[in-house]
Amino acid sequence: MNIYDFTVKTNRGVEKNLGDYKGKVLLIVNTASKCGFTPQFKELQDLYMTYNDKGLEILGFPCNQFAGQEPGTNEEVQNFCRLNYGVTFQIFEKGDVRGETAQPLFKYLTAQKKFEGFDENHPIAKPLMEALQKNFPEYLEGDGIKWNFTKFLIDREGNVVARFEPTTNPSDIAKDIEALL
Amino acid sequence: MVTVYSITTCPWCEKTKKYLASKGVEFEVRNIEENEDYAKECYKLSGDTMVPVTTADGKNFVLGFDKAKLDELISA
Repeated sequence: MNIYDFTVKTNRGVEKNLGDYKGKVLLIVNTASKCGFTPQFKELQDLYMTYNDKGLEILGFPCNQFAGQEPGTNEEVQNFCRLNYGVTFQIFEKGDVRGETAQPLFKYLTAQKKFEGFDENHPIAKPLMEALQKNFPEYLEGDGIKWNFTKFLIDREGNVVARFEPTTNPSDIAKDIEALL
Repeated sequence: MVTVYSITTCPWCEKTKKYLASKGVEFEVRNIEENEDYAKECYKLSGDTMVPVTTADGKNFVLGFDKAKLDELISA
């Protein structure tokens, strides 16, 4: 089993074989809704603009298993949504990323790269832990996806080389991407 | 005529439409996800890809579901 064996559907319902991305560096991300406070979209888009012509593809998989609101941002009430999430990289069909109902791709990714904890220095770490303990304590167990914006980095040969938790900003992954390009 | 630029799954767009309807305002919905021309119009107006964008004159607009600003727009 290899990353290129998976077939997924784009947000327009078109089947896409991940084999089409052979030879590219991939960043696979489970994203949040297009209506919440989601600053990581902007940084992902920046990464995409910087590295796409050097061989980076970002694949976003929307999922609403993690409630609508980002933890710790209750004061950031937003009253708008964004077309295409405000990004130009490929967004796929909405689906589950954890538990029994998780898409096979995410079962594979989380089996390849285990959960190694949050970066406690990140400002979102504390509210995120609190939100999980309060609302989804079972999510803290095992290697499943913990929250929106878990990122998996795939090298040009299809190896899953790294996993970054929501507590790693996309901009901090730039050096890891560069190393693979 | 009031125009509401919106996308398909967008609770804030729905709230805006319901609010306008509750005020007896007639409006046209332009889905920028389905129609490229509407997307361009909306981008030209607001300079971004956020919705809802509500306009009466094609120049001034209200971004998001903002009752106070919508009231201003429809009373103008």
